[in-house]
Amino acid sequence: MNKHVKNLAPETTDLSRRSFLVGTAATGLVLGYAASGIDEALAATAPANFEPSVWYSIAPDGLVTVTCGKADMGQHVASTMAQIVAEELGANWKDMRVQLASNDPKFNDPVLGAQITGGSWSTMMNFDAMSRAGAAGRIALTEAAAASMGVPASELVVRASTISHPKSKKSMSFAEVVKSGKATKTFTADDLKAIKLKSADQYTMIGVSVPQLDIPLKVNGTAKYGIDVMLPGMVYGALVTPPVRYGATVKSVDDSAAKKVPGFIKAVTLDDKTTTTTGWVVAVANTYAQAKKAAEALKVSYDGGPNAKLSSESLFAEAKRLQGLSDSGEFFVKDGDPNAAFGTAAKVLEAEYTTNINIHAPMEPMNATAEFKGDILHIYSGNQFATRSGAIAAGAAGIDPKFVVMHQMWLGGGFGRRLDADMMVPAVQAAKAVGKPVKVIYTRENDMTMDFSRPLTYQKVKAGVDGDGKLVALSHDVVSAWPTQRWGIPDFLSPSVDKKGPLDAFTVNGSDFFYTVPNHYVRAIKNEMAHNATPSGQLRSVAPGWTFWAVESMVDEIAHATGKDPALLRVELLDGKGKNDGGAQRLRNTLLAAMGLAGYGTKKLPKGEGMGVACVSSQERATASWTACVAHVAVAPSGEVTVKKLTVATDVGTQVNPDGIRAQVEGAALWGMSLALFEKATLKDGGIEQTNFDTYTPLRMSQLPEVAVNVIANGEKATGVGEPAVTVVAPAIGNAVFNAVGARVRGLPITAEAVKAAMKA
Amino acid sequence: MPNLNINGRNMSVEAANDTPLLWVIREQLQMTGTKFGCGAGLCGACTVHLNGEAVRSCQTSLADAVGKKITTIEGLSAKGEHPLQKAWVAEQVPQCGYCQSGQIMQAAALLSKNTNPTKEEVVAHMDGNLCRCMTYSRIQKAIMRAASDMRTASATGSERRAT
Repeated sequence: MNKHVKNLAPETTDLSRRSFLVGTAATGLVLGYAASGIDEALAATAPANFEPSVWYSIAPDGLVTVTCGKADMGQHVASTMAQIVAEELGANWKDMRVQLASNDPKFNDPVLGAQITGGSWSTMMNFDAMSRAGAAGRIALTEAAAASMGVPASELVVRASTISHPKSKKSMSFAEVVKSGKATKTFTADDLKAIKLKSADQYTMIGVSVPQLDIPLKVNGTAKYGIDVMLPGMVYGALVTPPVRYGATVKSVDDSAAKKVPGFIKAVTLDDKTTTTTGWVVAVANTYAQAKKAAEALKVSYDGGPNAKLSSESLFAEAKRLQGLSDSGEFFVKDGDPNAAFGTAAKVLEAEYTTNINIHAPMEPMNATAEFKGDILHIYSGNQFATRSGAIAAGAAGIDPKFVVMHQMWLGGGFGRRLDADMMVPAVQAAKAVGKPVKVIYTRENDMTMDFSRPLTYQKVKAGVDGDGKLVALSHDVVSAWPTQRWGIPDFLSPSVDKKGPLDAFTVNGSDFFYTVPNHYVRAIKNEMAHNATPSGQLRSVAPGWTFWAVESMVDEIAHATGKDPALLRVELLDGKGKNDGGAQRLRNTLLAAMGLAGYGTKKLPKGEGMGVACVSSQERATASWTACVAHVAVAPSGEVTVKKLTVATDVGTQVNPDGIRAQVEGAALWGMSLALFEKATLKDGGIEQTNFDTYTPLRMSQLPEVAVNVIANGEKATGVGEPAVTVVAPAIGNAVFNAVGARVRGLPITAEAVKAAMKA
Repeated sequence: MPNLNINGRNMSVEAANDTPLLWVIREQLQMTGTKFGCGAGLCGACTVHLNGEAVRSCQTSLADAVGKKITTIEGLSAKGEHPLQKAWVAEQVPQCGYCQSGQIMQAAALLSKNTNPTKEEVVAHMDGNLCRCMTYSRIQKAIMRAASDMRTASATGSERRAT
């Protein structure tokens, strides 16, 4: 997390102004933070005021339902939150249930003060709050049970949803305590803080691979995603999107042919004052099949706008031009004086690294359902950023955000795509136009061509090595669209080191690595042209997906130029000096673990095969998981790369659900491989050329390598695992290709053509 | 009004003959376990069975489905206890879960003909089904586990019949 994020909504992050409540309501025991001051908190002990602010409740039948304020997109975060609560509460896992929160601010993240799911932040930022919530419940239940049993609370033992008194052999189940109605206790913020939580050696639930609570719903078709929402009287919307990604305007809409489509209701041209979309038209009809037919029958003419001639080539050319200017961008890192150090360096290396546009393409295409009911706008959609998306929906409707209720659904993949709110706009405006609930579903073609993509990036890295082969200077320019600036939330931007103004740290995170380099600068340069033509978003792992591609490739290039082993050079650079103390050692240990597990350097590989290493501190310096990868590849004479094995080690501090972590890390590593080798989108005439899975081609089962995931849990605080492994794989593969055939490829994705060309060079 | 035989029941639907079966199942019959992914037969999220064969319901017209036995994830077993569904839970396969109905239906068509597939046969049969969460290795393990369970069940079953 960047420091600034803490200030997103400061009034709701101050726990001292809130009170934690435990009490018995009509529906059972409910626990949570009150929205504000103590007076209100006390008043809220009445059942009617109590229910909306809950983190979890216990029903008279003993079932514990945890309300998850995080978007669950396959990382099983709801289950993870339940597991943390259950540990301190002392509940039996079979009694745990989960539900998804609405956008009520009471469900805001206790650290971030908003409802946003990303950055692999959820577990690390909610671990303490969920632990304390669980513990508070246990204390309240125990005191109530003690009163009922007539024994001292201190003699009671809580285990598996049962409170027992070993001396008298009396016991009560949670259900019985809740039914007794005696569990009533208010915790102030100080009380909560004072609760002594379990130490790791007392855990019986944290660190156990309990079955994820959402999985049974996902094997029998009953899990409800946004696309599955059905409302009475609902009609459907299909989109007509312009050939240009952003900046087009609708000149005219001819609906004469659409009117002949049975079930057609209306064509709605969006008037999007939130500027999220441009030039979109929604065809509304009784069924989705009819809406799609009508959309195909609409004849829409456009003014292509200012970006209609742009291509990937023009965006790269503009990036190069900007990088070449001495006064471009703002400094993210500025240690020492690299430019002076280059002057005295024995050897200077320079290289350009690029990545192409990448598309999220979650399996569930974007969709949203909007319904106006009285004064309230109800939105049903799986979304990662309810706080902002609700505001965008309100903007599209022309109402105050406080009148928007966001109903969270399971997400059919997120990967950062559902941080964005574009799908709200057509649903809201179509519902308003036809006076009925409308479900808008993107076609895959809409979804791909209107993605808030991972931006095309251009990076220039220069390294200076002294006479002893020591890395003394590194300069790193990162040119890209600025995805987070686009949100228009100043608190998500970071002050620059040179005080030139705020920068989007989500374009340079990762470049502030844990290597010791005395002279080091990083410039964040906004590619305004790309920013306007290809509104970018946060794609799983965000900036470290490109910054480590550059840094970890360059470290290898330095090793080869100085005759060192690339892995051992990293160990040398991770000396833990100064500001890198702590993190550097953890990353070094993780790298060594991966090397050992992969058998790095222990055997001679056949001709055309090689191993490559990389290590990363994704996501951000302050929220790092320590992750290393050894990639083993075979390269054919044609340049075609086959990944034989990925060995990943990751230090996550404390693991809540080991099997869940392995699933996340494996999925992330395969994402990294897919981005490294198979996924490439291109801009032409202002539009994204790839429209479906025939031209945009994520990894399939037949391309699956062996993946060995090794999790290091050393008792440090829990870190995030959903993203870091994405970032480590591309440089590991690139470095392995070099070790296999001597071909250095500096652009992603690594294609057979690029490898072959580099082999010849 | 066309009649569909779906999950063992006859249901009449009201839609044009060229309507993709996918949308008839999801909207008219409100069985939402079958998912829309690409609309072009490229991802497999919409896989259902027609007379026991795995087909992409986004590429199958209503007219083509009339008179055939349609099975969706909701009808694969009475209580979600098909060996594949059990194996999917045992191996903790799903992440987001969106593609998994299609994955299970695709795999079920394979195991209904061959309960002893090789890894290569599994890969060849499943390669058209995308999983963006990349749960492929667990999908493979779950198919192998279900196949093994089916072989055991059928061996036990035949012994019983024999005695």
